Amino acid sequence: MSELYRESPLAQRAAPQDLSVELREITERGMIDVRGSVADKKFMAAAKKVLGLDLPKTPRTSASWGDVKALWLSIDQWLILCAKSKVDEFVAALRSELASVHSLVVDVSDMRAVLRLEGEGVREVLLKGSSLDLLSDDYKSGTVRRMRFAEIAALLHVVEDSVFDVYVFRSYADYAWDFLLATARAPAKVKLFGRQAN
Amino acid sequence: MSNKPYRLAHGGTHIDRSRKISFSFDGKQLPGFAGDTLASAVMASGAKLFGRSFKYHRPRGVVGVGSEEMNALVGVGDGARHEPNLRATQVEVFDGLQAVSQNRWPSLAFDIGAINSKFSRFLPGGFYYKTFMWPQSFWKHVYEPLIRKSAGLGRAPEGRDPDTYEHIHVHCDVLVVGGGLAGLTAAKAAAASGAKVILADENPALGGVADLTAGLIDDASLVDHARSVADQMLAAENVHVMTRSTVVGHWHHNYLMIFQRVGDHDPSILAAGSPRHRLWKVRAKQVILATGAIERPIAFANNDRPGIMLATAASAMVQRYGVAPGVNGIVFTNNDNAYLAAIDLKKAGINICVVDSRARAEGHLIEQARASGIEVSMGSVISAVEGTLGVTAAKVAAYRKGQGRVITERKIACDFIAMSGGFNPALHLWCHSGGKIKFDDALQSFRPDRHPDAIQAVGAANGTMDVATTLSEAHAAGEAAAKAALPKTKTAKFKAPEVKEPTRAPLESIWFAPATGKYNEGNKHFIDFQNDVTVADLELAQREGYESVEHTKRYTTFGMATDQGKTSNLNGLGILAEATGKSIPEIGVTTFRPPYTPFSFGSIAGVLTNNLFLPIRRTPIYQWHVDRQATFEPVGQWRRAYTYTAASEDRHGSINREILAVRHKVGLLDASTLGKIEIKGPDAAEFLDRMYTNMFSTLKVGKCRYGLMMNELGFLTDDGVTVRLGEDHFLMHTTSGGADRIAAWLEEWLQTEWTHYKVFVTPVTEQWAQFAIAGPRARNVLAKLNPDFDISHEAFPHMSFKHGKLGGYPVRVYRISFSGEQSYEVAVPANMGRGLWNAIMEAGKELGIEPYGTEALHVLRAEKGFIVIGDETDGTTTPVDVGLDGLVSKKKADFIGKRSLEQSYLKGPNRKQLVGLLTEEPTDVLPDGAYAVRAVKDKPPMDMVGQVTSSYHSPTLERSIAMALIENGRARMGETLSFPIEGGKVMRAKIVDPVFYDKEGARQNV
Repeated sequence: MSELYRESPLAQRAAPQDLSVELREITERGMIDVRGSVADKKFMAAAKKVLGLDLPKTPRTSASWGDVKALWLSIDQWLILCAKSKVDEFVAALRSELASVHSLVVDVSDMRAVLRLEGEGVREVLLKGSSLDLLSDDYKSGTVRRMRFAEIAALLHVVEDSVFDVYVFRSYADYAWDFLLATARAPAKVKLFGRQAN
Repeated sequence: MSNKPYRLAHGGTHIDRSRKISFSFDGKQLPGFAGDTLASAVMASGAKLFGRSFKYHRPRGVVGVGSEEMNALVGVGDGARHEPNLRATQVEVFDGLQAVSQNRWPSLAFDIGAINSKFSRFLPGGFYYKTFMWPQSFWKHVYEPLIRKSAGLGRAPEGRDPDTYEHIHVHCDVLVVGGGLAGLTAAKAAAASGAKVILADENPALGGVADLTAGLIDDASLVDHARSVADQMLAAENVHVMTRSTVVGHWHHNYLMIFQRVGDHDPSILAAGSPRHRLWKVRAKQVILATGAIERPIAFANNDRPGIMLATAASAMVQRYGVAPGVNGIVFTNNDNAYLAAIDLKKAGINICVVDSRARAEGHLIEQARASGIEVSMGSVISAVEGTLGVTAAKVAAYRKGQGRVITERKIACDFIAMSGGFNPALHLWCHSGGKIKFDDALQSFRPDRHPDAIQAVGAANGTMDVATTLSEAHAAGEAAAKAALPKTKTAKFKAPEVKEPTRAPLESIWFAPATGKYNEGNKHFIDFQNDVTVADLELAQREGYESVEHTKRYTTFGMATDQGKTSNLNGLGILAEATGKSIPEIGVTTFRPPYTPFSFGSIAGVLTNNLFLPIRRTPIYQWHVDRQATFEPVGQWRRAYTYTAASEDRHGSINREILAVRHKVGLLDASTLGKIEIKGPDAAEFLDRMYTNMFSTLKVGKCRYGLMMNELGFLTDDGVTVRLGEDHFLMHTTSGGADRIAAWLEEWLQTEWTHYKVFVTPVTEQWAQFAIAGPRARNVLAKLNPDFDISHEAFPHMSFKHGKLGGYPVRVYRISFSGEQSYEVAVPANMGRGLWNAIMEAGKELGIEPYGTEALHVLRAEKGFIVIGDETDGTTTPVDVGLDGLVSKKKADFIGKRSLEQSYLKGPNRKQLVGLLTEEPTDVLPDGAYAVRAVKDKPPMDMVGQVTSSYHSPTLERSIAMALIENGRARMGETLSFPIEGGKVMRAKIVDPVFYDKEGARQNV
């Protein structure tokens, strides 16, 4: 058999032009969905042993250790981010460490499309599709938030002050991409608050 | 009509005389200056006529100065960019602007519809209800088309809108609505306390009516003071200033929408690609309304003639645009403010006199007017107006309050009248979401009272008509709002500015200025100019028993036009009060509803048009389907390939070809949309036993089982195959449409009812691309893909599961069949879906593999008598009804829906049961949903005994087949039923077993 052919959700889309922020698809991200109870010390310890980090217990936060990140999704669910090449290893290690612990570990690397938005004004662009108060202090680096974006479900991760990752289910990737192409057009740029021209 | 140029030699704070522009109005090129509104530029040319009224087609001119304008509605732009019903006072002119007047034919000055005016005694209030009663059929075919043609405003644009629109959400601590003195002061105070402030104003610039108000602040003019604060707000880091931005509505919990006109005033902005309008959805912790007040017209005879304006509007024409409303004017007032207008008009060289309905009044402005040589007639009213397309003279008569008609009149030649009946606080936004209001005797108007939300009104919007109090209450409100939004904030000490302003005498309400004779004979005292409602109409409604103001509103249409009664509401209430002898508070008020002013459909849609109108879900194979010219079928938000029609065939041809390929060779289906849910935990098996009607705890690892799911009512809600991946680990498949619903349903039971269960549920639908390889050669296809697992029938029998590699790709393979053929469903991580799909197509080429779509899938399963949830079930169908009682466990202690199945009516006789149908004529395909009747009659109603749930032409059987739910169907095998269908035809079909093909199920078991 020839080499395996992989295609990310937005592989067929041309690089966008004339946008007010940088927009691209992140394709090489491994994602693992982990379920377990924070009250279960064995579970937390096993996760730490494999991932090198404490799974965050505070809603809407994340934790990281090197290249590995854990995003809080709910009181008993996390999304682990890592290099795609590490997924199989992590899944196997987690399952093995958690063999006797009530948990569920699933490779979901292909389930979502990841859209990276970067640049000054990125929050304003996202506010065209989200009613969250993205300008508030609640949305500092590391914040994770499930949200309604445009007309679909999405997961927001504040990577840095002006670097955001938007995760959408794979089937909605084109819709989300098209929505961002429409709202991030350079001539439609909006600056909220701050000094204005006279 | 005079065409004398009315542009004054000097003045005009809003215009730039160095920038000349040219625009067209009704096809005629007119000059103007940058900064002009359409109203000022047209009036500068000497024209006064802007449109014809809604019902009577009476000539109308400009009345107001901003968004309160109800008469001068114009259409702006050409073709697809045409926008009707814009207020000429708010349209900013630019070079090349095209505007047209509305509701006139053939021309503005000569209008055929004006004949309505001659027959106006036949068009009284409630006329529609009285006249067009009978016969009923005339409504649709005669009356309505006639009314639509003769009444109405602008025309719709032609073609698709070429511009873009968008939404944006924003949160703030304090939203200040209105950028006049009050709003600026409040915003400044809130911002100084550190609050995040949005200051929105509907006009092109901040400042409100500072330029039309008398007074000095710390010895600076009100305009200079306002400009200085505005500059501070623009420079502030924590303030967002928005102009040309109307707050159109206020909803619960301080949710407001702001309609921003981004590019209407300047085509170069649109040409650069900017959205034309932007709709802001604002969540504000605190709201301050500084929306000002709207001047009241006065109801005197023929008060709608072009050239009759509000006093502030007349003054604004002169001061802002350097345009004289005429050369000879009368100011008709019941208050002191209009004297300022008179003084300003006089200063501009216009001949002016004042008619004041009050018996006596003393104040600085009155003194000043008299001192500047203006003749003042106290205790007088305008009782009549002469002129049709413009004012030529007014009759003035002595008046004392309450007088019903006047006796002696004197005539004064004039070409415009500036009227002022007092001011109404702009309460619209206050009232949109439950704000209460109270009547204020001094204002003779309503003002804000209580409000359930965190909202305050300041300045004229609060009924505060003097500058000093406005500044102090606005400052206090701004500070209080910031304090409430940010409890930790510290406020600086406030030093109240020194304000100098004239003393004012109280106003005296005048709801009706009497004329000689009866006012409804030839004279019209307009209350609602836009809907042509007069004093006589309101009084008639009272006499006819419409006591409630809400009834009167609907009967007469007063306050129901696009201006939402801005200028008419209170005057109407005053008339009703006088007609009934009640007070205005006793009459009550009608409801203010959003929007404050109309806003565009484009802004409501935002970017959610065309490809963004509806989110479309695509499988990993979507583009392949597109490239193969597949027809698509919506399944929820998914688009699934329905059939792949080649150029040489039609859709029936391709569907039949795809079905026969599966029956005789092998087919490939994109089944990626199937719901997939991983379920794991020590209680997972028991949990599934409770969710499904049949048993899952007995399922062996590596095996698959078809399951039925009911809701608590015992009705089927989903079905699918669940696989046991490990002792405590399952993978559930749901219907495509049920994926999200069932995942939520499982979570709900775990979280709210069976909290003791240790089970995790993770939906993984989109992680996998999934394909069915079905047909007698399916295994041959697998074999060609180098599986690293044993695919022999013995090692991998029907209803079992393997994982391994296929064509090098990591796969899960389920040997399950929805077609009745030998069939493998192959799941692969979604990003590798397209690669595996191509590999399968390549491997199957020499075996004759063909892709098949959802229609072939449906026919294949119908040939086998397999149900589809939503086709054979309709939310009232039990497993027993569809003949699957074998899948309802008798052993399990409990499961969802078990109790309900014991209810008498679900066990009773005459339930509709699933059967097969064979039409007498094999080529007849029963329509989906066709009813079987007990006896065929000439016309409905006929007694119905059931309905067709699925119906197809089966190429396998070379005849039509159908499934149906029929009363007692299983006991009626062999009986022939009649199905009346469209066109009087009756199809007859025999009841048979619903499994039409391969009854023993041998084909999937090889």
